[in-house]
Amino acid sequence: MIIINKTDLAEVMTRAQETYLLSGPVETFHGHTFRHLEPGQAPDLSCHHTLLSPKAVVFPPSDPLLTFSGDDWAGPDLADLPPQAAVGIRPYDAKALHLLKYNFDTPEYKDPYFLSRFENLTLVGLAENHPDPANFSVSCGTGPFDETCLDMLLVDLGDALAGKILTDKGEAFARAAGLDPIPAEKKAAVASTIAELKTRAENAVTRTGSFGSLDGISTLDLYEQIDWEALAFGCINCNTCTFVCPTCWCFDIQDEARGQKGVRLKLWDSCMSALYSAHASGHNPRRQGWQRFRNRFMHKLKYFGDKYGAGPMCVGCGRCIRTCPAGIDIRTIHQALSRLEAVT
Amino acid sequence: MKEMENRIRQMAKDLLAREKVDQVVGFCQGSLAAVTRPFLARHPEEADQLVFNCNCRMNLATFVPDLKGRTGIVAKGCDSRNLVIQMTENRVKRENLYIIGVPCAGMADKNKLLATAGGRDLIRVIDRGEQIEVETTQGTTHTLSRQDLLQDNCVTCIRHNPVIYDALAGPEVPEPDLQDRFADVAAVQKMDPGEKQAYFQHLLKDCIRCYACRDACPLCYCPTCFVDESSPQWVGKSLNPVDVTTYHLVRAFHDAGRCTDCGACEAACPMNIRVRSFTRKTIMDCVNHFGEEAGMNPGQRPVLDRFQINDPNDFFR
Amino acid sequence: MTEFEPRIITFLCNWCSYGAADLAGVSRFQYPPNMRIIRIPCSGRVSVKMVLHAIRSGADGVWISGCHPGDCHYIEGNFYARRKFVLLKELLEYTGLEPGRLQFSWISSAEGVKFADVAQQVIADIRALGPAKKLIRQLPEVA
Repeated sequence: MIIINKTDLAEVMTRAQETYLLSGPVETFHGHTFRHLEPGQAPDLSCHHTLLSPKAVVFPPSDPLLTFSGDDWAGPDLADLPPQAAVGIRPYDAKALHLLKYNFDTPEYKDPYFLSRFENLTLVGLAENHPDPANFSVSCGTGPFDETCLDMLLVDLGDALAGKILTDKGEAFARAAGLDPIPAEKKAAVASTIAELKTRAENAVTRTGSFGSLDGISTLDLYEQIDWEALAFGCINCNTCTFVCPTCWCFDIQDEARGQKGVRLKLWDSCMSALYSAHASGHNPRRQGWQRFRNRFMHKLKYFGDKYGAGPMCVGCGRCIRTCPAGIDIRTIHQALSRLEAVT
Repeated sequence: MKEMENRIRQMAKDLLAREKVDQVVGFCQGSLAAVTRPFLARHPEEADQLVFNCNCRMNLATFVPDLKGRTGIVAKGCDSRNLVIQMTENRVKRENLYIIGVPCAGMADKNKLLATAGGRDLIRVIDRGEQIEVETTQGTTHTLSRQDLLQDNCVTCIRHNPVIYDALAGPEVPEPDLQDRFADVAAVQKMDPGEKQAYFQHLLKDCIRCYACRDACPLCYCPTCFVDESSPQWVGKSLNPVDVTTYHLVRAFHDAGRCTDCGACEAACPMNIRVRSFTRKTIMDCVNHFGEEAGMNPGQRPVLDRFQINDPNDFFR
Repeated sequence: MTEFEPRIITFLCNWCSYGAADLAGVSRFQYPPNMRIIRIPCSGRVSVKMVLHAIRSGADGVWISGCHPGDCHYIEGNFYARRKFVLLKELLEYTGLEPGRLQFSWISSAEGVKFADVAQQVIADIRALGPAKKLIRQLPEVA
C-alpha cells in the first residue's frame, strides 16, 4: 500500500507525467469532466462525479482514423502511442471500460484504435466515499470500492490518499510517480479506516434489487407487452444519456473532404437519434422516438446480457439519471420490465 | 404553490372525466429531488400525479404537435408563447388545445439548487413560493429566496402570465418592470472582435454535440435538421471548435424571431453551457430593430415572415 | 512583396444585381477581379448556411446584393431578406466576425456604374481588414 499526502499530489502527478499521458477529473462550468490533463495540470480528486465518463480516453468523441488524398491514405501509428494513465477514475467506470471491450474486441474483428489505447492504459481508480442518490453501482455487480477492474485503488482519507496496488501496471505507475509506501506502523489503522469507508459507501448506494435479472423473461414479451409509449413519454431523444453513459459504444464513420483530400472520422453516435436507424431508401424502422427509446433500454437491460452473459450493459454510475432533461430513470424502466412474469 | 398544483390536478381530472380532452400534458415528480418529468395523464385518476413547482424547467409545448386528438396542456408564460408560435406555424390547431395557464414565478436553476449541497445532491426540494427549502444528502436543510435561485432566463422574463389560455390555475402575478433587460448582451457587445471570439470559444469548449438544446426546444422541429444534411454538408459532426460554433450560430439563427427565451435549452444541456448566449442577441435585435417580441400575439405572423417599409436599411450600400 | 488579394464570395440576385454586373462588364467598367460571383434568383434566397459555408471555407468577405426594396422581381423577397440580413450581420459580428467582412447592397440592373463603384469599395474595405482568420474550417489531422 502507498500513501500520498494531498499537499504532494501536484508534484506526484508531474512526475507521473514524465512517463504517462495523464487524464483525470477537471473542473468545468458548474461541474467536472474527465479529460486529458495539460502538462503540469493535476486531476481534481475532490470532485464527486464527472459529467462525462472516462470512456473518451479509449473511445474519443471524434477520432480521426486516417487521412486520404486521391488514392493514398495514411493512418496513425497505433503501436507508438504513449502510455496513458487515467487517475481518479471511479471503480465502476473502470468496469465500464471492460464492458466496452465486448464490442471492440470480438473474434471476428479487433478494433485497433480502441485496443491500442485500452491496452496501454493504467487505471488508477479513486474510491467513492459519498455516492449520491443516482448511484446504484452495487446493484450492477460493481460498487464504489470495487477493485476488480483497476490497477490501483486510491482512497481519500481526508488529508492523504491511501493506494492499494492491484496489478503490475499499478506497480509500474507507483514507481514512475515515485509513490511512498505506507509506514508499517500505520498500515493497520489505514486498512481499518478504508474498510469502514467502504462499508459506509456501499450502504449509502441505493439498491434496486438485482438489476438486470430479466434473464427469465422472454425478449419478445418485453418488446411487445410493455407500454413503451407511456414509459417513453417525455423523452426528447436528445442523445445526452448515450453520450454521458460509460458503456454506450455506438459510433458513426464520416468522411470530411475538400476536393481530393480528406479525413475519415469515427464519431460518437446515438441510437436515440432518428438518423441512426434511417435507411438510405427513406424507410426508418424506428421512426418514432418511443421505438428508439425501447431499443436503447432493451439493449441495456436485455440484449447485452443475453448476448454476452456479463450482466446488464450498465454500471450504475447514475450519469444518465442526473443529466436527463426529462427525468427519465433507468431504474424505473427496469422496475417496469421486471414486473412481467418470468417464464421458465 | 400547493394551491396552484391542486388546481391543476383538479382541472386536469375534470377535463379527463368529462372527456373534454384525450390527454393532459403536465409534469410529475422525477426520481431525483430537483427534477420533474413531463407526464401524460390519460385517465382522471392519473391527474393526481401532476405537480407544479420550481423544477418544471422543460417546455411542454415540445410534445404537443405529436399528440393526436385534443390535448390539455399546463403552460407557463413562456410555454404559452411557444404554443402561439406553433399555432402560427400550423403545427397545432387552437381548437385541439385546452390550455391550463399557469402564472409563473420563475424556475429554479438546477445548478444553483445543487450548489446549496456543495456539489453533492439533494433529497428534497420544497417550493414555498417566495422561498424554496432544500434538504441535502448530508442531512442539512436550507431555506433560500427564490429570487436568488432563479434560472437566468427567468430573471429577465418579460411575461410571467400566459398570453393565451382557456383557464388559469392561479391568480395572475405582476409583470416585471425590467431595467436593463439585455445587460448580458451589452456586456459582450462592448468587447472587440478578438475578445468576442475568445469569449464564445470558451463558452462552447465543453459542447459534446448531443443536441439536447435542439431537442428540448419546441421550435426545432425540422424533419431533417441542417446538421444532418449531407449534400452539401453545412457543418461537420465532430467536436472541432469551428463546427461547434457553426452549429450553435445556425441554430440560433433558425430560431431568430421565434425564441421566447424559455430556457429549456440551457436546462437540458448536460455540460451546463450557456447556450442562450446566441439567441439572447437575436431577441434583443428583434426588439430594437423591429419592435417585436416572439409569440405574444396569436394572430400575427412570425417576425422574419413579415416586414415593414421602414425596416433598418442603413447598412446597405 | 505580394499584396494580399481578398477572395470575396458574392451573391447577386438574378434580376437586378447580376444584370448590373453584366452591364458593368459590357460597358467595360473596371473593377478588381476579387469577386467569386454566385447567381441566385433573389436576395431572399440567401440563407445563413450559405454565408457560413463561405466563411468556413476561408472567404475573406461575403457580399450580398439584390434589387432595391419595392422593386423585387418576386415582390417581397428582398423585404424578408432585409430583416434576415440585419439579424445575420448583428449575430455574426456579435460572435467575433470583424465588422466589414459582410457587405450588402441594393443595385438595380440599370446601375452598372454603381456596381463597379460598390465593387471597388467592398474590395477595398475587405483588403484593409486583411486575410480572414476566424471560423475557418481546417480538415482535422490524424495523430
